[in-house]
Amino acid sequence: MEFLYFNVNDGFLEGIVRGYKSAILNQTNYLNLTQCETLEDLKLQLSATDYGNFLSNEPSPLATSTIAEKATEKLVSEFKYVRSNAVEPLSTFLDYLTYAYMIDNVILLITGTLHERDTHELIERCHPLGVFDSMAALCVATNVAELYDTVLIETPLAPYFKNCLSANDLDEMNIEIIRNTLYKAYLEDFYRYCKQLDGTTGEIMSEILEFEADRRTINITINSLNTELSRDDRRKLFPALGRLYPDVQDKLLRADDAEQVKTAVEIWVEYRQFFETSVTSAETKTLEDRFFEYEVHLNKLTFQQQFHYAIFYAFLKLKEQEIRNVLWIAECISQGQKDRINNYIPIF
Amino acid sequence: MSLIQLFIPSEIAQPTVAELGELGLIQFRDLNPDVNAFQRAFVKEIRRFDEMERHLRFFTTHIEKSDIPIRPLAGDGARARNAQEIDELEEKIVGHERRITEMNTAHENLQKKYLEYTEARHVLRETDVFFRQAGARQDTRRYSYDEPTVPLLEQTDLEHGGPPGDVPLNLGFVTGVIPRSKMQIFERILWRALRGNLYLKYAEIEEPIIDPISDEILEKNVFTIFAHGQEIISKIRKISESLGATLYQVDDNADQRRADLSEVTTKIDDLNLVLQNTNNARRQELQKIAENLSAWITIIKKEKTVFHTMNLFNYDVNRKCLIAEGWCPSNDLNQIQQALRTATETYGSMIPSIVDEIRTTREPPTFHRINKVTVGFQEIVDAYGVAKYREVNPGLFTIITFPFLFAVMFGDFGHGIFDMFFGGRYIILLMGLFSTYTGLIYNDIFSQSMILAKPGFEWDLTNYTRGQLIEANPVGVYPFGVDPTWHGSDNHLLFTNSYKMKMSIILGVIQMSFGIILTVYNYNYFKKTLSIWTEFLPQFLFMQSIFGYLVFTIIYKWSVNWYELDEHGNHIHNSPPGLLNMLIFMFLQPGEVAPADQLYPGQGFVQGSLLLLALICVPWMLLAKPLIMRREHNKIRALGYHHPQADSTRISSSTEEEESGGAVVAQEMHEEEDFDFGDIMIHQVIHTIEFCLGCISNTASYLRLWALSLAHAQLSAVLWDMTLKNVFGLTGIFGGIALVLAFALWFTLTVVILLLMEGLSAFLHALRLHWVEFNNKFYEGSGTKFEPFSFKAILKDQEE
Repeated sequence: MEFLYFNVNDGFLEGIVRGYKSAILNQTNYLNLTQCETLEDLKLQLSATDYGNFLSNEPSPLATSTIAEKATEKLVSEFKYVRSNAVEPLSTFLDYLTYAYMIDNVILLITGTLHERDTHELIERCHPLGVFDSMAALCVATNVAELYDTVLIETPLAPYFKNCLSANDLDEMNIEIIRNTLYKAYLEDFYRYCKQLDGTTGEIMSEILEFEADRRTINITINSLNTELSRDDRRKLFPALGRLYPDVQDKLLRADDAEQVKTAVEIWVEYRQFFETSVTSAETKTLEDRFFEYEVHLNKLTFQQQFHYAIFYAFLKLKEQEIRNVLWIAECISQGQKDRINNYIPIF
Repeated sequence: MSLIQLFIPSEIAQPTVAELGELGLIQFRDLNPDVNAFQRAFVKEIRRFDEMERHLRFFTTHIEKSDIPIRPLAGDGARARNAQEIDELEEKIVGHERRITEMNTAHENLQKKYLEYTEARHVLRETDVFFRQAGARQDTRRYSYDEPTVPLLEQTDLEHGGPPGDVPLNLGFVTGVIPRSKMQIFERILWRALRGNLYLKYAEIEEPIIDPISDEILEKNVFTIFAHGQEIISKIRKISESLGATLYQVDDNADQRRADLSEVTTKIDDLNLVLQNTNNARRQELQKIAENLSAWITIIKKEKTVFHTMNLFNYDVNRKCLIAEGWCPSNDLNQIQQALRTATETYGSMIPSIVDEIRTTREPPTFHRINKVTVGFQEIVDAYGVAKYREVNPGLFTIITFPFLFAVMFGDFGHGIFDMFFGGRYIILLMGLFSTYTGLIYNDIFSQSMILAKPGFEWDLTNYTRGQLIEANPVGVYPFGVDPTWHGSDNHLLFTNSYKMKMSIILGVIQMSFGIILTVYNYNYFKKTLSIWTEFLPQFLFMQSIFGYLVFTIIYKWSVNWYELDEHGNHIHNSPPGLLNMLIFMFLQPGEVAPADQLYPGQGFVQGSLLLLALICVPWMLLAKPLIMRREHNKIRALGYHHPQADSTRISSSTEEEESGGAVVAQEMHEEEDFDFGDIMIHQVIHTIEFCLGCISNTASYLRLWALSLAHAQLSAVLWDMTLKNVFGLTGIFGGIALVLAFALWFTLTVVILLLMEGLSAFLHALRLHWVEFNNKFYEGSGTKFEPFSFKAILKDQEE
């Protein structure tokens, strides 16, 4: 039945997003980009794509950060356009997408304050999708409870934060724990929300979110090897969903080195490739790159079906990946590391 | 069209190309298709112009912000400049930009200071009120709080570390200014952070404050927070600062405050003066720029396109010349040569540019010379497909047939006249003219009839009683169009239906036959004599033997007086036979016609042979061409000609060039297509089926002429009957008012429904008849449009 009514509310936006998607840079564009000698060339090449003259009002010489900033600006304006035209339940779904950025921003601000950076500078560095009004006041807080009481209580992140209240002081370790707990709660909540949306959206989103959860699980495990993080604490950070939940997670808890992580995860064929090639091949692809690659693959698949919300998620993620790619290429050009320029992750 | 090659010495390349751009007659071909956009020869120049355009955009935004009118471009626009002038221009622009930026920074700084002082003044003024209120309430407060006799505020100044009073109470305060939109959040966060241990007062600043960076008007609030304790005060300060508030020091001594206030006020006055001066200077500078801005923009756009065009050329470094290739109308070659000569002379080059016409097998773009009348009709055709080079262009015929077919559907004298008034564009004008013409033929003016001459019928009014049905007697022939006597008669509809239906068929068959005949011109031009015998001829015969015959019978039937009597008063002819049945039985019972249905003697034989002819045409169309082509092909093979390995023709303007291995300018592959019998056969089958079925369905499709015309006539009749007709009988004042109202109603409905809606629908149907029924008979429309490099077109594009 959802097919019948989908277009009434969301057909227009789906069309818009599919249009945005077709503007994503393809292999030929990347090939042209990688041949550029200077950032000016890059600008010229990008002006032939859907980015148009987004850099034309920037005085040369260009900085790579300007390119990233402008590209993000474009993405944000596209997302905001979609968001402002959305109705329930799509609008809630899109709001959920911004929560992830909020979490990142909160963590960024807390860390920044901890290192006594200038607040305004920090706010400028925040991702524009995750901005909320009272964000600036975060830097006043000195401990977790205060953080929650003063600022976060009125943000959508409040329910996620409840689990973190046990931690008392804000130090590097605790911030990392807070980030992961928040993310875990967010993922679980988003997963629950998507499942409750009917049909295709739930189906596709759960696949993507499960991978996201698994990726976090693996990352947490690898990063916490040889740290003082206890196993119980580690378990608390694992999202309670995904293919690795719960059996493999138990194994991961007992893992002491990367090899054990690999054996534990390898029971899933799809995940085997992450470790296989990263060990053997001569290419310098990191585990993170492989994760991104697989994520891009999953996101691309969403466009194969119609009448669902996952394409909105996929569009945002793919576009982010594209910005990362462009930034990577730009960095390689400006630092003269042309041999590594092909390490971007192709999308289409 | 000719393909020409230009050798332009590189030192005068840029002015020469500019000259050609003004002329707008050559469509340049890209000679370096493999080269990336940023690897081309003139990227550096283009980038320079991009930079200059950026400066100009910067000026434009500033000029618009200061409300200075930009002087529009005088005349037909600035010409492109040479390199030296461009250098000067760039210098000028950069100089202007530097000055503007400097002034902007100065202005910004001043504005910032100004903002600070204004805010400070407001803070001082508003806090004064707070303090006074607090002072006034001292007494009540003292009682209620049961405090010692010390006034609450007097001795508490942590900010200045001023002398504490008798009892140090540690009650401090923070004052500042915050954007009004953030006030609520600010309050809430403070409340939550301090658990309510604060006393906050705020007041709105009436005067709008201009943000020095974004130049936007901000609304701000002054606030004062009283709180207890060093810790809390510093926390408040931190929160306020992080939320974007500006804090100001305020003395708690009333006299001191007053002194501060007057000091700030004088400072503001001084600043105002300075600010005004900088503003004036900036304005003058911008005004100077505004004088020339549009000319600069045009120049730079032109220059940029010149270099973009030069990027398409082959840049021969050794020979110091640019080699360009492009299409141009053959008739305009002289003009191009003239332009090249002018450029060479003006810029004093030793070596002249050379134009060379080269022979090619490449298909040239199609160029129709059009004027403002024909452009609309050509657009109609181009929307279907751009003509192949030298193909018969239906645009020419469309000029008349399109408005004519429109008019057949829209035939009303009155509406036609109206249509001419509207818009005045040429398509509409012609449509209107033809509508008035067909309206005269149909004898319709706003659904009424006109008696312009003596009618051909007479009513016998003897013995007539009201309500009785009487018959009119024919007494002559009405000289032009439909007899007005028909109008309002009982069998009017029967008559016009039959008439219009037959007319549609006749028009349709004529137009389609004309379309088929046009193929001959195409075959002739493209040297496909075979197709004339194997495609045109059977198609034409097929068409004529069925529908051509139908048209003949229609006209024949019209020309016979079926009720003519011989001298004995007997009917000479049988009753008029139905043509529809005739056509059906022509297929069902070939060669036989029942005597009662006979149109003319010998009809059976004629119909039988025509049907046979049509049947022969089908296999003729289907098989002749592929079979003959196969025979030809086999003959060639038998003679020993084989498909060559690489059949590429290389055409260069001189042999020298090939030797030196220099620029290979016109290199092209002309592949002889493989002969594939299956392919050709399938193509032919499809083509034949399409044509045969198309003949029938297309003829039927022309009946839309009748249907639309009927609908139009009926609709306008209804409109007339429902509104104006009803009020014509009324008399007196009431009648007058009713007439005015009914006329208004009738007029609006006529315009909205009949002229706009019906007109649109008739337009679309005429369009369809041309695209589907007419064009598919002969028009391939597989060409590309000639798009010359022209400044005029480029500038127009960018304005839109």
